[in-house]
Parts: sequence; C-alpha cells; structure tokens
Amino acid sequence: MSDNVEKYIKRNVNKGINSRIAQKFVDAGLEVMRSCINCGTCTGGCPSGRRTAYRTRSAIRRALTGDESVLSDIDIWLCSTCYYCYERCPRNIPVTDMIIKLRNIAVEEGYILDPHFSLANDIFYVTGHGVPANGEANKKWQDLRESYGLPPLPPTVHTHPEAVKEVQELLKSVGFTELMENAAKLKGERAKKEEKKEEVK
Amino acid sequence: MTEAKNEIKITGREVPRIGVYVCHCGINIGGVVSVPDLVEYAKTLPNVVVGREYKFFCSDNGQEIIKKDIEDGLINRVVVAACSPRMHEPTFRLVCKEAGLNQFLFEQANIREHATWVNMRDHEGAYEIAKDHIKMAVAKARKLLPLEVQKVNVEPSCLIIGAGIAGMNAALDLGAEGYQVHLVERTPTIGGHMAQLDKTFPTMDCSACILTPRMVDVAREKNIEIHSYSEVVDVSGYVGNFNVTIMHKPHYVNQETCTGCGACVDICPVTCGNEFDLGLATRKAIYIPFPQAVPGKYTIDMNKCIQCGLCARTDICEPGAINYDDKPEYVKVKVGTIIIATGWDLYDATELKQYGFGRYPNVINGLQMERLLSSTGPLEGKPARPSDLKAPHSIAFLQCVGSRNFRDGGNQYCSRVCCMYATKQARQYKEKHPEAEIYIFYMDIRAFGKGYEEFYESAAREYGITYVRGRIAEITEDENHDIIIRAEDTLLQTPIEVKVEMFVLSTGLEAKEDADKISSLLSVQRSSDGFFMEAHPKLKPVDTLTNGIFVAGVAQGPKDIPDTVSQAKGAASSAATLMAKGEVEIEPYYSVVIEHQCSGCRSCQSLCPFGAIDFDEFKNIAVVNPVLCKGCGTCVSACPSQALVQNHFANFQLNEIINWALKQ
Ligand SMILES: Cc1cc2nc3c(=O)[nH]c(=O)nc-3n(C[C@H](O)[C@H](O)[C@H](O)COP(=O)(O)OP(=O)(O)OC[C@H]3O[C@@H](n4cnc5c(N)ncnc54)[C@H](O)[C@@H]3O)c2cc1C
Ligand code: SF4
Ligand code: SF4
Repeated sequence: MSDNVEKYIKRNVNKGINSRIAQKFVDAGLEVMRSCINCGTCTGGCPSGRRTAYRTRSAIRRALTGDESVLSDIDIWLCSTCYYCYERCPRNIPVTDMIIKLRNIAVEEGYILDPHFSLANDIFYVTGHGVPANGEANKKWQDLRESYGLPPLPPTVHTHPEAVKEVQELLKSVGFTELMENAAKLKGERAKKEEKKEEVK
Repeated sequence: MTEAKNEIKITGREVPRIGVYVCHCGINIGGVVSVPDLVEYAKTLPNVVVGREYKFFCSDNGQEIIKKDIEDGLINRVVVAACSPRMHEPTFRLVCKEAGLNQFLFEQANIREHATWVNMRDHEGAYEIAKDHIKMAVAKARKLLPLEVQKVNVEPSCLIIGAGIAGMNAALDLGAEGYQVHLVERTPTIGGHMAQLDKTFPTMDCSACILTPRMVDVAREKNIEIHSYSEVVDVSGYVGNFNVTIMHKPHYVNQETCTGCGACVDICPVTCGNEFDLGLATRKAIYIPFPQAVPGKYTIDMNKCIQCGLCARTDICEPGAINYDDKPEYVKVKVGTIIIATGWDLYDATELKQYGFGRYPNVINGLQMERLLSSTGPLEGKPARPSDLKAPHSIAFLQCVGSRNFRDGGNQYCSRVCCMYATKQARQYKEKHPEAEIYIFYMDIRAFGKGYEEFYESAAREYGITYVRGRIAEITEDENHDIIIRAEDTLLQTPIEVKVEMFVLSTGLEAKEDADKISSLLSVQRSSDGFFMEAHPKLKPVDTLTNGIFVAGVAQGPKDIPDTVSQAKGAASSAATLMAKGEVEIEPYYSVVIEHQCSGCRSCQSLCPFGAIDFDEFKNIAVVNPVLCKGCGTCVSACPSQALVQNHFANFQLNEIINWALKQ
C-alpha cells in the first residue's frame, strides 16, 4: 500500500525558487523567471514542441521546482532557439536564454549527448571548426563558395592550419576543455554506477 | 473634540521647553531600536525638558500623556518621533491645539519610514539614523513660531469632468443635495461607455434600460447644468474657489431650435464610420451618437461635412437650425470643488501582431462584440461575423489582451472587467445559438465581485462554455477567414490547435489618451499606470493630493459599474462635506514680505507659478496673497534683498536643522 503511495505521489518536490537549479538561474541573473505565470504562451507557439515531446513551459517549471530529471531529459536539446517564446512571454522572461542556461547546467553536471560531445571534442577541438568545410567530403561547400566568386576555403584555420593550436589554447583558457573533460568524467561515473546496478539485479 | 480651555501665550521669545515623545509603534520601531535609549539621548539635547516613550502615542492614552505635559505647563514645544507626518501630523497638532498650545509648535521626526523600516536588519545603523532625525526635529522645534490657519469660503458648486455613469451619479447626488453642478462632457451626449454595453454582468440587466432613465434624470435635475460637446480649457484658483473656463464646441446646429426630428440625416450625402459602433456601422456627417442620446440634438462633424448646403434647406430643416459658421463659446464658472470622472479608452490590440487584429476581418475586440450582441447595435442583436455576416458556429475569446502584460506597449495591471464581460458575452451568444462552441482562453479567471463566481460557475455548467487554461500564442487565418488558434492547454501540458469562425480579444481598459492634459490643468498626479492617483489607496480613495479635487470611476483605475457607482457616490459625498462646511482651513505656509527690506525690484512677481504676488505701487513693495500662495518657496530663493520669509520653513529654521545635522 505505502509503496503504491510513494509511486504515485511526489513528496516535497516543489522547492520553488529555493531549488538547487533555480539558484543557478538566479546566479546567472535570470531571477525574473520567478514571475512566470505558467500561461503556456511559450509552449503554445513553440514550433519545435509541435513536432516533438519538448514542452518549453514544463521544462522550465520542472527545473525551477527542483525536478532534476529535467537535466537528463533529451527533450531540452530540441529547442531550435528561434526565439518565438522570448518575443511573446507576457512576463518579459527571456525564455530562450533560460533554456540555454538549462543546457549549460545539464552539461556542467555531465548530461551531455554523445553527438554533442563528439562534435565538441572530436571535431571542433581538433579542426577549429564546428562544421568543417575542407577536404573531399565537403566539396559541395567549396563549390558553393566558388559559385559566388569566393575562394574555396574561408580565411580561417582552414587556410591557416597553424592557427588550430591557438584555437585550442583559447578553448583551454576559457575553460571549455575542462568543461568537456568534467562532463565526460561525470558521465562515465554515472554509466559505471548504472552497470553495477544492472549486475546486482 | 474639546476646545482648548486656556490658550498658552507664545511670542517666540521665551525659552523653548521641548518635550520629546518617542513611539514604539508596536514593534515597527521598538523591535528594531531601543526606544528607552533614544529617549535618554533626546534628553541630552539642549532645551529638551521632557522625554517619554509609549507603545502607541497616536492612541487615546498616548495623546493624553502629551496633553497633560502641556497643560501642566512643563513644555511649550512638542516633538513626536514616530511614523510619517502624512499619517499622524494632524493627530498630534490637534493634541497641541486641544491642550491650548499653538498647533504649529509641533514637529514630527519620522523614524519609522526613514530609520527602522528601511534598516530592519541593521539595528545599529537604524539607531544612528533615528538619533539624527530626533536631533534635527528638536533643532527645528527650538526655532518654531506660532502661526494661525487661514479660512477661506467654499463655493457651493461643483465641476464634474466626464458624464459617464460615474460623473452622472456624482452629479445626481450633489444636485439632489442642493449644490450647483456643472457637468462637462466632451462628446455630444452624456452616458459614457455604459451606453455601448448590451447587458451587464452578473445580473444581466439591460444596460440601456438602467442607464437611459438616469440620463433623463440628469437632464431634468434643475441643479445640474449639462455642458455637452464641451471641454475644460482653463482652471485657476484653489480649494473652494476654482475659476473654470469651459469651451462649448460648435455644433453647427442651433441647439435651442433643433427639434431632433432627424430630417437632415436622410438628405446628408456623406457617410462615415460610426464611433459608437466602433466602425461596425455607419453614420452621416450630421448625426446624434445614438437614438437615446441626451441632449437629443444634432451635431455636424466638420471633419466630414462637405458643406453642400442640403441640410440647411428650409424645406429640410424647418426651424432653420443649421449654421455652418458656428463658433466655439467660452463660459466662465466659479466652483468650490471638482470631480474628475473621465473614464477610459480601450486598449488597441493592433500592437499585438500575433493576434491579427486589424488584419483579419473575423478578429474583433470586446467592445465590438458588445455592439454586435446589442439589440440597438448594427445587427440588431443578431450577431454575425464581419467577413460574411453569418452567425459563427464557434467563437474563441482570449483574456488579458494588453493587460497583465509586462512587455513594452502592454499594461501591467489587471483590467478587472474582462473575465466577467467575456463570460457574459459567451453566455449571451449561447442563449441565441445553443449549438455554438465557445472557448475562453485564460491565465486566471478573476471572479471577485458579488455574484461573480456564481456567474462564472453557471457559464460552464449551464451554458456549456469551455474554459481552456492557456494564453494563446499565435493565430493564423485560412482561406475561409476562419481562425486557427495555437496555444497550450496548460492543464493537459499539451500544445493544441483549435479552428474557430470568430475570435474575440478581451481587450482591457486604459487611462484616457489625453489624461496628461487634465493632470496638468488641475495639478493632480497620475500613478505609473496612467490613471489619476488617489491621495491614499485605502483611506482616501476618492481624494486627490490637490485639495478640493476628487476622482471617481475608471478615471482612477479599472473597475466595474458597481464599483464605479460606489466611488462616484463617495466622491460626491466628500465634495459635499467640504461644501456643507462652507469654509476650509488652509495651511499658513505662505511667504511673507518684510516690508522695509523689499527694494521693489519685482523679481518675485514674474516667477510665482501661482500668480500670488501683487505689487503695492504706493509703498513700492511686493505683497503676497496668502490664499493663492502654495508655499513653494520660489520667490524666497529668488529675492535678491532676502525680503521674503516663508512661514514654517524660514531660513533661520532650516539653518538650525542643517547646523545640528552636521554636528558630531
Ligand atoms: C466590453 C466591455 C464590457 C463591459 N461590461 C460590463 C458589465 O457588463 N458590467 C459592469 O459592471 N461593467 C462592465 N464594463 C465596465 C464599464 O464599462 C465601466 O465600469 C464603466 O464604463 C465606467 O464608467 P466611467 O463613468 O468611469 O467611464 P466612461 O464610461 O468611460 O465615462 C467617461 C466619460 O467622460 C467623458 N470624458 C473623458 N474625458 C473627458 C474630458 N477631458 N472632458 C470631458 N469629458 C470627458 C467621456 O466622453 C465619457 O463620456 C465593461 C467594459 C467593457 C470594455
Ligand atoms: S510564456 Fe513566459 S510566463 Fe508564460 S509560461 Fe512561458 S515563461 Fe512562463
Ligand atoms: S526558442 Fe526554443 S523553446 Fe522557444 S519557441 Fe523556439 S524552439 Fe520553442
């Protein structure tokens, strides 16, 4: 009986603006979120939410009330940063900024998706480009540039390969590299724990 | 109130004996600073001969303590360190007066608002600030001089600006009490917005049926003079004696001879949008706003008239009332009191692009819906949608349009009537078309008035109106001019899409677009929402901060008809109280000319914003009219000969405060 109750009722979840995550929003200067009236304007107009299970208002509400499962919810990565919600919120809350902040918090705590991690770590860090345009595989970009009368490669690390080192230096000094390493570490630890649980079962 | 038995003679030359009374104000002051320590501190200041503390000096017992010290001859100056003088200065002045001491020998140190409230967590800091305030108040008290209040007569007449339901009710009350009322209305008819409503929530009385008899009463009351199609263009003077200039705009139709027969209307070739129906119907260039208008005489809209001369033909207008050369007329009246009842404008929803108002024909606002439902409206109470004039099978309402919106261009406040008027309109439509589907999209339903919650409950239960909790994000229009709504049903946590045939925006109430004009004409303040500001939100809800001027109805803030009428009656009663007394006391804070010091340069005369300074050609000196002087001090600081002194704020008094403030 009592087991069932525990399953269907959430006890003491609503920590409101005193939740750990909410505090992080406040620290980032986003305390205006406290005035959200849950009107649903953001969700109602969200073009991404119309096609997926992503719910803008619910994501923010879960975060603010201390429901930490939102950090591992892959839905929060479905916002397309179109800024529809941001433009319409009647409480003038920078909704899209809140979603971006929520993602930042998720990554800090090791909730990063594999493709994002490999993009950051294996592509961006290694090539200095998020979307590389060099090499045979990317011939179509080069052709496109040439059709506009531009040189095939932009004046970036692609034409100055020696500058890749500088980009990497930069990423280190702003803490990006450390952020990624930490995320990988936390994610690994979490995976191990899960494995153990499985074994015990 | 007891009158003073023995008046204590004070010339200002005797040694000041100051009593300092430090109030705990419950825990407001006593919970933050040590009141006994403050009393001990006060006693160390020169001329302080009595220091006492009490839980509430404003209470009867507290007042008695002060009174006794005065009557026992212990003190001849009083300092109370407590709350804001706006709260209790009148209380303690009366204490002095009743004990026989001139009431201006009192000074209040506001150690609650200035020290303990603002430093609730910094007890030491609050204590230091409180000490400073007491020190400065004692310094001022040391230099206080007795003053006499002035009394001026109050004219038994009232100017009411705006003849909506608020202005009309105030006028009827005052007229019945025997006061002369000048009721100024800018449009050609009295009645205001209520004339545009069909039924009224929550009782569903027919608006016209309860309004038009009142309009007729106003016209019939001999003490009310209606100045319709008029504007107040100048106001001077002061409480009890305002000089008002009213401009009667030209009607281009002689209002005396016009019989209201309407023969001119049929012949007039110019057709234009009708303001009364918000453009949903037309009128001619010569018109009355609506059939029951009071006065029921015609007006030519010169912006539209082409002066073709047809209506002026004697076979059309038999009395020959048409006069294309009509000119404005200026009327001067003297009144003792003024009531502002200028009402509201509707929020313009075109700014909210995502809702398509002004772009899609089947998106309308709440007041337009009111006209569509009205039996006197353009469709005679058979509502249809604008695009094809067919009765829609489905309608959605959206609440809080322009209200509760913290973005630029929105109003942050709640308009207080839209939840109920949407519910009313939805019910009315359902009564006519029971098969129709009606949705009301809302953030919160505010059903706070008497009978409102019951009204809302039966809308869902009895009428089957669907309430959806979610603010609509955007709409689009399809090829049939149907409206596709996108929103979240927040209670289901699901984005939804609904197609309806008509979409009504429950637009809110706003301050009049030209409220700033009235505000500067009358020197009354407005709050940040644009509405006229009451003197105190709880205790003086119909007074303004300018003596003798009151406010009623939506001019003060959004409200429904019951609240509007209550407030109008309150304003009428407050104005009557002032006029019934026949005279009013005004503070003696005027400036005084020291005759032998005045060089007659007249610098002050041109600077005084209230025209209070005359010139005595014979003596060659300036003379201040104490009743007109508002005590602003402009002349005092401008006088090159230092010949002006401002009562109660004289240089020798202010310098004493500054010297003590700077003393360590
Ligand atoms: C769509 C809608 C439906 C509503 N339905 C209801 C309902 O069912 N029940 C209910 O209780 N309430 C209802 N209300 C609210 C109701 O309309 C107001 O409470 C009421 O109109 C307030 O009256 P008022 O006299 O303060 O203002 P108004 O009606 O606006 O009257 C003000 C008058 O002053 C005049 N005026 C303005 N400025 C000047 C000036 N400078 N000089 C001279 N004259 C001036 C105006 O021309 C106007 O005649 C509704 C409101 C809306 C928008
Ligand atoms: S639109 Fe703004 S107020 Fe409304 S639910 Fe979203 S964040 Fe909250
Ligand atoms: S910014 Fe993101 S959350 Fe906001 S509407 Fe666009 S996709 Fe949805």
